[in-house]
Order: sequence, then C-alpha cells, then structure tokens
Amino acid sequence: MSMHSEPPDDPDTLREKIIGLGETSLHKSYYPELQSRLAELERFRALLDQTHDAIFLIHAETGRLADVNASAGMYLDCSKKELLATPFINWISPQKKAVFDEFARRSCEQLPASRWTCIASLVSREGRETPVEITVRSVTFGDKQYLVAIARDITDRLQAERELKIKESALESSTNGILITDLAGTIMYANPGFASIFGYERGEMLAGRSLEIFFANPAIGKKVTDLLRKNHAITEETIGVRNGGSPFHIQVSGSVVQNDAGQPLCIMLIVMDITERILIDQLKRETCAQLGKNIEQFAILGDHIRNPLQVIVGYAEMIDDPLAKMILDQSDRIDEIITQLDRGWVESANVRQFLRRHGDDAEPRVETFIQRFSIKDWDS
Amino acid sequence: MDIVPYLVNNGLISATGILLGLAVRNRFTTGCRIMIQRNQLDLRKFVVPEFICGYGALQLAGRYARNFGMKQVLLVTDPGVRAAGWADAVGESLTEAGVPFTIFDAISPNPRSGQVMAGAEVYHSEECNGIVAVGGGSPMDCAKGIGIVSSNMQDILTFEGVDRVPVPAPPLICIPTTAGSSADVSQFAIITDEMRRRKIALVSKALVPDISLLDPRPLTTMPLELTVDTGMDALCHAIEAYVSNASSPMTDLHALEAIRLIHSALPAVIEDPENLELRFSTLLASLHAGLAFSNASLGATHAMAHGLGGVYDLPHGRCNALLLEHVIAANYEAAPDRYDRIGAIFDREPGEQTTPAGEIAAFRRSIGITATLTELGIREDAIPTLARRAYADPCLVTNPRRLTCEDIERIYEHAL
Repeated sequence: MSMHSEPPDDPDTLREKIIGLGETSLHKSYYPELQSRLAELERFRALLDQTHDAIFLIHAETGRLADVNASAGMYLDCSKKELLATPFINWISPQKKAVFDEFARRSCEQLPASRWTCIASLVSREGRETPVEITVRSVTFGDKQYLVAIARDITDRLQAERELKIKESALESSTNGILITDLAGTIMYANPGFASIFGYERGEMLAGRSLEIFFANPAIGKKVTDLLRKNHAITEETIGVRNGGSPFHIQVSGSVVQNDAGQPLCIMLIVMDITERILIDQLKRETCAQLGKNIEQFAILGDHIRNPLQVIVGYAEMIDDPLAKMILDQSDRIDEIITQLDRGWVESANVRQFLRRHGDDAEPRVETFIQRFSIKDWDS
Repeated sequence: MDIVPYLVNNGLISATGILLGLAVRNRFTTGCRIMIQRNQLDLRKFVVPEFICGYGALQLAGRYARNFGMKQVLLVTDPGVRAAGWADAVGESLTEAGVPFTIFDAISPNPRSGQVMAGAEVYHSEECNGIVAVGGGSPMDCAKGIGIVSSNMQDILTFEGVDRVPVPAPPLICIPTTAGSSADVSQFAIITDEMRRRKIALVSKALVPDISLLDPRPLTTMPLELTVDTGMDALCHAIEAYVSNASSPMTDLHALEAIRLIHSALPAVIEDPENLELRFSTLLASLHAGLAFSNASLGATHAMAHGLGGVYDLPHGRCNALLLEHVIAANYEAAPDRYDRIGAIFDREPGEQTTPAGEIAAFRRSIGITATLTELGIREDAIPTLARRAYADPCLVTNPRRLTCEDIERIYEHAL
C-alpha cells in the first residue's frame, strides 16, 4: 500500500493486511524466491544445453570436470554422468594437454591467466576427433577456483578456410590483373598479376590508391565506378598507364560484388594487357589492305597484258611466217601466266574474304555491355 | 480528567452521537465515530522472529551470520553506537566466526531515504549477502531498507505502505542497543523521505528480521535522555497495541507485560543506569511491546508522531510521549475497559479519581519529560499539514477510533 496510492477510504482492506491476512502478508521466507531462482537456473541450463558449443566447468585444482552441458556429451559420446569427475585433458588432443595444465596451474596460483584460446580437437570415447576452438577462462564461485572451457566446433570453419585459401591462391597466381576496390574506386586488393602488368614491384602497396592512376585518362577511373554502380558489369578496352608512365592497351572487365541481400559490397576488376593483340590486329588490317591493293593491281596488269596479246595473236595467225608459230607459242605461255595470275587474284580475294569473315578487321567486332549501354559515355 | 466533557469540549464527539449509538455489522459507533468491534474469534496472525535474550547475546552474531551462510556482511550501525564500541564488539564476533564484514554507519536519527540507498550501494559494491544491524531504531530500520532495496532493486520509496515487498530481503540479524524501537522484531520500518520532508511507513511481514540478539550491556551506554525517550516509545507501542482494533489475546499478553515492565523498570533504570538487571527489564519490555505492536499494529499517537518527526526531525520517542495522553483522551470511549486496565497499572494512589490519560501524563512528567510541543518548536499553523499526513499514515487504521482529519487537528492543538 502506498499512503498516497491506496485510497484512504478503504481502511478495512488496509487493516486486514496489517493484521497479516492480506493476500501477500507472508512471513519472510526465502523458499519461494529460492524456487524462483532455481527455475531460472533450470531455464538457463536448458539454454546452455541447446547451444552447439560444448561447455565444461573444470575444478582448477584437480583439472576434473565439475559440470558439462548436453553438447559436450554429444561430442564425446558420453553421458554427463560418465563425464563428471574425469580429467578434462583426457578429452582433448594430446599436443594441447601440457598447455592446458600450465594454464590451470597459473589459475590456481592466481597468476595472470584470465583467458586462453587454442585450436585443438575433442577426442570422443570412440576416438572420433572434432576440431574445435577452445576458450578457457578462470572463474571463482564462492571460494573455489574453476575453469570454464567453451569448445566450438570449427569443422565447417576449417573447410571454409581451405576453400578461401584456394580462392586466394587462385587470385594470387592469376596472370591477369585482379583488383578489388571499394564502391568509390579506392583499391582494397591488387594481385601480383596486376602489379606485374602495371610495372609495380610484387608486394608494393597498392591498397588505398585510387583507381584513376592506372588509366591514361584519369577520368576513366571514375567512369568505371559510375558505370558499374549503374550497370553492375562492364567489359571494355582502354589505355592503361604503367608505373613508369608508358601507355599500353588493356581490357577491363568489372562487376559489382553483392551480398546475399543484393547490397553492393565492392567492385572487382579483371585487367588484361592486350597490347600484343591490338598490334596483331593492326598488322592484319594492314595486310588485308595490301592484299586488296595487290588484287586490284593484278586485275589491271592482266588487262594491260591480255589486250595487246590478243592483237599480237591475231596478227600472228594471219601471217605466214616461220616465226608466227614461235609468236603464238610465246603468246600461249604469256596467257597461261596471266591465267595463273587470275587464279592468284581469286585466291587472294578468298584469303581477304576469310580474314574479313573471321572479323579481325571487322568493326564492331563484339557487342559489349558498355557498348550497348554507354558507349558514348566511354568514348566521350 | 473526565473524558466525556473533554471529548465534547474539544469537538471530538457530540452529545447527540453518544445518545444515538448507531450500530452496524461488526461495528459500532460512539460519538458518531465508527469503530471495529473486537471479537475473540476473529482471524489473527502472530509473527515472531527467532530471538535470543540475555547477557552476551551479541557475541552470537558471528555464529548466526555464519549459519545463515553470510560470506560478506554489511554491518549497519551509527556513529554513536560505533563510538560506544558495540559495533566493534559485533565485528569481533564476526571475525572470530570467519565472516568478513564492511561497516556502514552513515546513518542519522530518523534515517533518510538517501542513506538507505547509499547503504544499498555499499551492499552491492562490497558483494555482501547478509546484514547485521547494531543500534537503535534508526540503524535497524535503515538495515531493513537496505535489505529490501538490494533484493528488489528498487528505490526505497517504492515500498511505502503495507505488503509492498515482493522479494524478501537477505538475512538480517538485529542487535538492539536501545530499549524502545523494537525494530528488531517488528514488521515496520520508518524512513524519512527527505525530498518531501515526511516519514514513510513500510509495513510487511517480510520486514521482520531473521533473528534478534537482545543483550542488556549495550543499553548501559545510552544517555539518560535516550533511555527516557526510547522507554516512552516502548510504552507507547504497548499501549497502542493493547487498544488497537487489530489486537488479539496473544498481543494483549505481550502488551500488558510490556506496560507493567516499563512502569516498574523505566523509573528505576533512570536512577541506576548501570544496573544490568533493570536494563534487561527495559529490554524485555521493549521486546514484549514489539511482539505486541508488530502484530496488532499501532494507532493515532504513532501516526501523529511520524508527521512531527518528518517535518521537525524530532526524536520519535519524545514526540510519542508528548502526544500519548492526548490520544488516550480522544480514544478513551472506544476502549474504556482497556484504557482503565492500563490506568490501573499506573495508578499511584488507588481510590483517587484519575483517568488513564492523566496517569500517563503524570508518569512521563515523573521521568523528566515536561515540555510541550510548542516548546519543541511546533507552530499552530503547521497543524493542518501535520494532521493530513497523520490521517494518511497506515498506523491510523488500527486506532481504536476512526478519527477524522479535524479530530487529529484538535489533538495536536491540545498537545501544543
């Protein structure tokens, strides 16, 4: 009752309470509260049993188990009853036993040893090993020293780490340049291939630099990030600039890396040095042009030879001269040479057609994202 | 003093009211004031803590603290008791029992809510799990407050009223060093709300301590004034419990024995303060009074004294002493037989025409309490506020008469 919250016009109820007959007019008893706290502890234990981590409470002095949760029994193929009072080190990989013993000793002597973490294995009764990360803390309950060890199964983590290592190695060993930047174009990672392409020392710190310094036209860096934010993927060729300042041809393919929710995380760019290919393409185009010129000249030459040859053959057939036969023979030989030249012309035309068909001098060669969506932006 | 003319003259009853005598179920009226009729078959509860009384009882503090599983004790006391050496004596007992302790003695008379909260902070910071209180009513009430604040994690002011303690406090051992408050056995704790300058009453069976160690030796270091004030507080407890509308045959036994003991031992101990047997009698009187009032509760005297103590920070026992005879006069018609029985204990000259109120007034004067409320600094213009606060006090609920706010004002005025 509050003197202010309880109505003063209800003195009968108040009197009943003062006499001790109220609903909660109970003599001081710790039992209901004790029951409530025990129920709370039971709920907490149920929570601990639900966790996948194995939890061990260990007597610091003896190193024996004082309590475990349900997961501990599951990993070790034992019931809780079987585990209690057994030495904790019996259940971990042999190479970690000495380290754990030292930690327990320091805890007992109250030396600084508040926390210790290691990778070990839990070894079940049947010998099955589960890789775990064990965190051990020293705690005091009442006047007793305990250690709490929480073992987390890292099987999946190790597998993921292995896969990550493979992917990382792939990135590192790629001859293509691979860049990871933030969404603003600041470099977070550059693989050795990239450093090599752009003339930097392997291991030279490129992280933190802006993307624009790698393009002959610095504005391209910003365009790349802008286009990627709009289109999420690009492929284009442009002019890169090496560490020493020399330009060279590069092809840049990029995409925005997204999380599961589709939110952009970073930008990944793959850069290839295409200088050699560009030069070959140029050579092919020049060859093709030369072929065209040759064919044209062959046609003109054929005409220039055949026309007078027709006149010569006409005269030779009309005269009766011992030399006429020789003239006709020589004319036939010339005609045969011209015919061969005609065949060469046709073959040259076929070669040129072949080159054209395979697109080496065709324009445009490939329709890319950037050409479809923003070729003007790129070229401007 | 003739009680009827007194009541009529002071506006507490009317002659018409006396004539009417209106009756309702389980109630009757006298002078237009509703009262609760006593019936021996009415349900009653009697809650009593474990207590040990006798020479050397305080030395058992350590043993009981250990038996309660206390690992770190908050030893609650006040500077006076500490200076007298009784806190150290209890501390030694705790040390001998291997129970470490932290002393909290920042407690004034009429303990403040802020002091309770400060004590609770020390309790938590020192990781205590039990309380030992050594002192008079102030340290013991403060210790009760610290206990319930600690277990419930709420401000002390939220427990104001009756049955407002959901979680019991940690174990509490009380060692009284005065013979009057009976906080060591009662379900009451009185704390001053310093912001609003008023005393609040916390009433709960959960406030009854776990054990009381009643040792007469600490009483020998009480100054005379404190002996008198606390003795009158005990007498007031006993009388108000005896006439309470919640009294029972069990509380009657203790109340009457308390009154007899105080009547005989209090004047004697004033003359011979070092006498341990007399001191023990006053301690027993306080114990009996505590058992009585903790179960039967109190009345208008305490309700009105709480108002005075809150505003003027006066000694609680002194306020009770100066109000008691006036409340008796106002209440007399509601329980004349009971008041007469009390009067008979104090009757100095049998056969002479006296009233219980007159006998009580003579008794307090005989032990040196001769001032009036005016002389203590109470002003007449404060009476309406004091009366309103007394009217809202839970102690008033068990007064033998249902008093109105105006009735209470009249009593204050008469006590001026």
